[in-house]
Amino acid sequence: MTHKIGGRQSLVLAIYSAEHRRLMEIFQPTRHLDYSELLASLGAFMEKEILPISPKLDAGEISIKGPRKAVFDQGISSIPFPTEYGGLGLPFSVFATAVELLGTADASIALSVEIHNGVAEGIFRFGNEGQKRKHLEGIISGKALASFALTEPASGSDAGTMATTAELKAGEYVINGSKMFITNAGEADLYLVFARTRKGPSCFILEAPNPGLKFGGELKKLGMKGSKTSEVILSDCHVPEDNLVGEEGRGADYAKEILHGARISVAAMNVGIAQIAYDKALAYAKSRRAFGKSISDFQLIREKVADMKTEINAGRLLYLYASAVKESGGDFSSEASQAKVFATEMSLRVCDEAIQVHGGYGYTTDDLHRHWRDARLLTIGEGTSEVLRLLIARRELARSP
Amino acid sequence: MNHVVWAYSENEGVSNEVASAATDIVKGSPGEVVVVEIAQPRAGIRAPGGRLLLKGPSSADSPGVVAEALYRAAKELQPAAVLVGATRNGRETASRLAAKLRVGCMSEIYNLSSDGQSLLGERNVFAGKVVAKVTCALPAVATVKVGSYPRMESAPGGTRELDVGGVDSPIRVASREKKAVGAVDLKSAKVIVSAGRGVKKKEDLAMLEDLAREMHGALGCSRPLSSDLGWLPEEHHIGLTGVSVKPDLYLAVGISGQLQHTAGMKDSKVVASINTDKDAPMFQASDYGIVGDLYQVVPALRRALSAHG
Amino acid sequence: MRIAVCVKHSVDETELKLDPSGRPQLAGAAGKMSTFDKNAVEEGLRLKAAHTGEVVIFMVGTPASKKTLKEALAMGADRGALVLADPLAVDSLRTADMLAAAIRKGGPFDVVLCSEGSSDTYSGQVPPMLGELLGVPYAGYARKVVVNGQTARIERSLEDSVEILDVPVPFAASVVSEINEPRYPTLIQIMQAGKKPVEEMDGEELAPPGAYRQASVVSMSAQPSTRKHVMIEGSPDEAAAKLVDALMKEGVLSK
Repeated sequence: MTHKIGGRQSLVLAIYSAEHRRLMEIFQPTRHLDYSELLASLGAFMEKEILPISPKLDAGEISIKGPRKAVFDQGISSIPFPTEYGGLGLPFSVFATAVELLGTADASIALSVEIHNGVAEGIFRFGNEGQKRKHLEGIISGKALASFALTEPASGSDAGTMATTAELKAGEYVINGSKMFITNAGEADLYLVFARTRKGPSCFILEAPNPGLKFGGELKKLGMKGSKTSEVILSDCHVPEDNLVGEEGRGADYAKEILHGARISVAAMNVGIAQIAYDKALAYAKSRRAFGKSISDFQLIREKVADMKTEINAGRLLYLYASAVKESGGDFSSEASQAKVFATEMSLRVCDEAIQVHGGYGYTTDDLHRHWRDARLLTIGEGTSEVLRLLIARRELARSP
Repeated sequence: MNHVVWAYSENEGVSNEVASAATDIVKGSPGEVVVVEIAQPRAGIRAPGGRLLLKGPSSADSPGVVAEALYRAAKELQPAAVLVGATRNGRETASRLAAKLRVGCMSEIYNLSSDGQSLLGERNVFAGKVVAKVTCALPAVATVKVGSYPRMESAPGGTRELDVGGVDSPIRVASREKKAVGAVDLKSAKVIVSAGRGVKKKEDLAMLEDLAREMHGALGCSRPLSSDLGWLPEEHHIGLTGVSVKPDLYLAVGISGQLQHTAGMKDSKVVASINTDKDAPMFQASDYGIVGDLYQVVPALRRALSAHG
Repeated sequence: MRIAVCVKHSVDETELKLDPSGRPQLAGAAGKMSTFDKNAVEEGLRLKAAHTGEVVIFMVGTPASKKTLKEALAMGADRGALVLADPLAVDSLRTADMLAAAIRKGGPFDVVLCSEGSSDTYSGQVPPMLGELLGVPYAGYARKVVVNGQTARIERSLEDSVEILDVPVPFAASVVSEINEPRYPTLIQIMQAGKKPVEEMDGEELAPPGAYRQASVVSMSAQPSTRKHVMIEGSPDEAAAKLVDALMKEGVLSK
């Protein structure tokens, strides 16, 4: 596979690398061969079909719809769900690794899919049997695109203080309010909406189109330009009473639980973003010559290579570890947050160093600085680093005797 | 069994190469080389040991028909070996002949020899990474790697005719057309400038076409440019599944040098490469390498060439 | 329409290591579906999609090479047949013997497809031999195959010409890699491929060798490299001038 940096041909690599294979062997010892086969095939697909069009997505030259559908058609979203709902019934670590590969191929699609899967996880864990039967298969097959509508203009992701309300009237909830920075808004077929009822924050399935569902203009983002983000406006938006997910008043808990899992995916995605930036930096360092030698022969460049590589692997191990804790059924909120804080900050550092290695070309080449622009979102989205550090500390203090 | 070796190719020039290969085998033994022709004798055929004209088939266009004619003749005359030029049609002819005769068949052989009991030769395997010495008990069939022997130049000897009877083909040829008019003749080019993925866009190939013209050479490419990107017709594709070339000078521009590519150019006399990646495998297959951006080096090269006049 | 597609589990030439004496380390070498075989499988699947029917994969190989059969099944083939024999120990005609016997046993088939050659040894002998042994019309190097009732229109891509043939069904053909773009199996297809039926049979029993004396490999060694590996330094203009000088000295610049 060939990456082009500013059009330069640079290196040949496999998105699903020997390194991934080894880790799968360690984390999934009994079935690593099966999983490696799946992930290698997925990686090959992404190299051929997604990676080459990623710069065009960033430049707004093509729509995310086609390539995202191709990714869904491969079955990525169905990985962690049970077969009875159309899933593949595989460990979460396999899904997280798949998200990493997708992050390497294209961060915008990875973001869209990660959010989408968070909704599937929410319905799977907190929805009733009827809701699961009705919606899960469509979502995890990618036939229906899902969106997670929690954050509000004034309250961030703090579910406890949300202003959006839902009132039960004649067998329907009537929702009023607005949601901010919503990924997949306007494109999604289903929104998981959080709104306050008399009993507190609650969670609803809102199917599009709906006369009460409108969208603000598309937000101009620094990065993740392939994915759509806008405000979701709910004005007298009626949803059937049956669309309440779980119990009224428990919405804030559900949101937290969904976000814990999503944070592992975000961590994985950032490892993927860091990986592609690193690959490009390494290739450039080997090809760029100064003072009669390759700049990869200079010690200060070598230091960068060593640090980038070490950090990427640390991030990868953290998200796999958090996945393993999640699979074991324990409380994984601290581990997921650790993985997300580290991997998102790490990928920003790596993408920044990758620009540095490229010098002026790095600052002026879309195909390179877009990785930094993409990564920049994720110390903010799905829980800021600041909030997550508080969460980690709170958990760890509570765990210690 | 006698020691007569048959040489055949539907392509005149290749037939003369195969005749050379056959002559190598019989060297020092009382054997002789017979060049086989089907339906019609061809003017440019060189056959110092004489030719055998097989009458009966209406033409030599179909490998299935040729294989059947050769089979009938071989049953009767029992040659020790049948060598066929390893063109696409030739490979089919030889394989089918071997299956009919139930004798061993070796593919794309060079450095052929025989000890009177068996046929020996060498062939490239694993995309040219490895040379395999192969052998097969006589009688045997083999295809001879195109371009691995000089073309026989001595005058033809006498012609013997053999009527093998009519051969029907179940296949009807609806049309037969030369590929794209003006298709490059990479096989006979002395200099080849070959383009790879380092070229950013189709329009930039013009620069390499100019370079090739200035060097009195032809433009080739690696597989992605013809197959994936479709920037050049298939006839320009040099590699394992494309054309195999052996020019005096092969200049690889922005080609990473995957085995699939180098398998098609490794017999070039001198190889020079331009690539941004100092670890590009292409440099391992090169005599001269320049690590650099082709967009800077190619114009510089054109200036240097014109300076030399 | 019943379609047989033959595939090979070949040595992955890109991963192949040579020992210090230059011999390829074939024992335990990484294997993969021969690159161009994916095009043959894809073409089989496209024919099936256009005509309904089934695609059966045939492979001569060891139990360790089932991965390749499974990959073809994951792409969408219906069933597989594994003829047990060591592909490195049988020559082209023996391989074709075994495939022909297995195809007869599982037949009748309307179409038998192979790729033009395997990515490891690239002899290209098995497909025409197979056509011959099966006694059906054969068209090699097809870049287009369209089956229309009892006739197929096939475009053969030769070195410098294209032939358009009308070939009666049943027939055998080899395809070139330009014919199509092989699909990627989805994750669910990969998981379900293991459940598709694969019949195993013994190659020697299926096709006894008789008096046939097969072609064999005497030895293998690294391709000798006589390249000079001179890296030319300097600015683009300096490097270009040095290169032109060197090529003039080599006498390879035609005037």
